[in-house]
Amino acid sequence: MSDTPEDLRHEIRQWLADNAPGDWRDQSTHEGFVASQRAWFAQLVAAGYAVPHWPGEWPGGGRSLAEQKIIYEELARADTPRLLLSFVSTYHAAATLMECASKEQAAHYLPRILKGETWCQGFSEPGAGSDLAAIRTKAVRRGDVYVVSGQKIWSTMAQYADMCLLLVRTSSEGAKQAGMTYLLMDMTLPGVSVRPIHQIQGDEEFAEIFLDEVEIPVSQRVGEEGAGWAVAQATLASERGLTLMELSYRMRGAMTRLVSEIAGTDRTEDRGVLRDLGALATRVDAVCALADRFLQKRMEDEEKIGDASVVKLAYARCLRAWAEMGVTLSGLSGQLHAPITYGDLNSGNWMADFMNSYAWTIAGGSDEVQRNIIAERMLGMPREPRGWKLEAGQ
Amino acid sequence: MSTMRRELEDSALKAFPHWEVVREREQARATVAELGWFMAGVPEDMGGLGLSRAELGVIFAQLGRALVPGGLVAQFLAVEALAGAQAFAGRDELLESAMAGEPLTASLAIGREGLEAVPDADLASHVLVRGVQEIALVALEGATIEPTPAWDTSRALFSVKPAEGGARLVLASGAEAAALNARLDELACLALAGDALGGASAVLAISIDYLGTRRQFDRPLAMFQALKHRAADLKAAIDTASALYDASSDARGTAMGAMKAHCCEVYKQVAEEAVQFHGGIGLTVEYPVHLFLKRAFLNRELGGSAGFWNERAGRALLEA
Ligand SMILES: Cc1cc2nc3c(=O)[nH]c(=O)nc-3n(C[C@H](O)[C@H](O)[C@H](O)COP(=O)(O)OP(=O)(O)OC[C@H]3O[C@@H](n4cnc5c(N)ncnc54)[C@H](O)[C@@H]3O)c2cc1C
Repeated sequence: MSDTPEDLRHEIRQWLADNAPGDWRDQSTHEGFVASQRAWFAQLVAAGYAVPHWPGEWPGGGRSLAEQKIIYEELARADTPRLLLSFVSTYHAAATLMECASKEQAAHYLPRILKGETWCQGFSEPGAGSDLAAIRTKAVRRGDVYVVSGQKIWSTMAQYADMCLLLVRTSSEGAKQAGMTYLLMDMTLPGVSVRPIHQIQGDEEFAEIFLDEVEIPVSQRVGEEGAGWAVAQATLASERGLTLMELSYRMRGAMTRLVSEIAGTDRTEDRGVLRDLGALATRVDAVCALADRFLQKRMEDEEKIGDASVVKLAYARCLRAWAEMGVTLSGLSGQLHAPITYGDLNSGNWMADFMNSYAWTIAGGSDEVQRNIIAERMLGMPREPRGWKLEAGQ
Repeated sequence: MSTMRRELEDSALKAFPHWEVVREREQARATVAELGWFMAGVPEDMGGLGLSRAELGVIFAQLGRALVPGGLVAQFLAVEALAGAQAFAGRDELLESAMAGEPLTASLAIGREGLEAVPDADLASHVLVRGVQEIALVALEGATIEPTPAWDTSRALFSVKPAEGGARLVLASGAEAAALNARLDELACLALAGDALGGASAVLAISIDYLGTRRQFDRPLAMFQALKHRAADLKAAIDTASALYDASSDARGTAMGAMKAHCCEVYKQVAEEAVQFHGGIGLTVEYPVHLFLKRAFLNRELGGSAGFWNERAGRALLEA
């Protein structure tokens, strides 16, 4: 481990000069995506840069805020592929395992994640999106197993996943939130089938999961039966805060992509373009500063309800503006269909990146849901009246 | 949060608990002098408190929160110029009286020639004249001082023409003037951005209170999602800008200016929405929202407009 943050910067820059995959966009097609992601992840793990946000007992973990910033900055600067395939494993699953699972569960799964085990998140259902507590996938306890049947949707990378963070209903008594249970499901169990969903940008990043009498051992439960809602909040909290430091630094690194749309054209003297670019860059800096501040608070145990929502809302809106500027700058040529690779804000394809930006304004609690949280929990504005019922036939 | 930061916020809340408390510029200046704020940024060996720019930033935000009137930012600039100048005869006395609140002033316009937008010139003994080659403190005796009434009445602005051959203390020239000018621009931007963020949080809080008490359609307005969501967006915009502000206290040149532009746009956005949230009452002089709105628009222009700074920031990126 390096002595000072600047030593670390030097070290990682050197390492990236030797190891960053230059041709990843060509390899990240449907066929090559999984293999190239796995290979890059393994390299990062071996070098100690894959999970800087994990606690210190894990290889590559325990990095200070300053060190994390440097790692993400340098990964962005070297234009490396983002770890889409390991995203849920290293953030959502890891946060859940570290914060809520038993010691045995954590000790069993965390090393496997570092070995490249892929996880997906099975929360959403066709009838339960923003209203996550409305899930209906049912689990019935039979001896040492839960027998699970139902359907999950929008599960990112489920088609490649080995394991699933599964939220199920074990009871319909009491409040909707009360009867939920959290399970870790092996995707190879009998009764699990996965169907990829075609997305608007021509990708298939998420999938449906069908569950037909799947028998999941009770030992795979995280927390108590009926305590799934609280565990799910830990998973979602990682999505709303922790992940956004990496992403905001990536967005700042990717400002060079906007610059290269302008460089060498007559727009270098277009004051409107320069102003838009300058204002956007400052907004991106502000989002980075906000993500830093969030992580600082989290490390010092000063995080408050709603802080993570602010980070997510700010990032998501800024990403949309960022991608939109790229689309605008690319003009008509940007409207001609170009084959896309998996990616998000550095795929090399502005329209694809723009459409992908919806992942952040919808997934993990949409902007509207974050706004409700901020208004009600931070600003103290009242909730809407409850008890409204759909009339029969409506 | 640092102890110093908390102490500054606490004393600000005591001195200026609410926007209404000090409405008169001379009294505001006296209060700020009593708090020792004019000496806050001056090094200890020159009789100041030696606080960092980050800590000065807290002060500026508090001044903005309470809409404290007057030419305080101009005074901070004059103090900074005196402290940053090469020693000269009489400097210590001048600095001391400036730190004690004896009015000095300076233009708050950046990127333009001349002495326009000079607050409190009618009260001040000297004005800071910033040229490219030379920075000087010029006595206002015999100067032509024209009031330029602005929409924002919390700052009394003047356009100033010093008297020919009036007393003139050169604070810096040549390369030193360039360096000092850069410092002063940065401080002006920090001050205006802080003022903007303090004002934005205050006017949002006033609005949330109002929406919580005003009832229409049998419920408080604050219950309507159409309003809640806009309030949440404003909150997120303020938090984001304030994270940038805290991270930028030592930023240089264009980065500081672009930060100022960003924070002032957020203030404008929040203040505009605040008027809308208040409905008809937002258009009445009795209600304070318009004061924030007017100050927000003036802050946007003082210290260089968004167009001025964003264009530079864009160019800097292209040239990086
Ligand atoms: C790219 C992507 C990846 C995803 N990955 C996963 C994953 O890995 N695992 C998983 O479990 N899920 C995943 N999701 C699902 C995601 O969590 C849901 O799409 C999201 O919670 C929204 O639910 P919904 O799609 O059913 O929309 P709905 O809940 O039907 O909402 C539709 C619209 O109405 C708005 N709305 C809803 N309720 C309110 C309200 N109370 N007030 C105001 N507006 C409201 C929403 O904001 C939205 O704009 C993913 C989604 C996307 C887009």
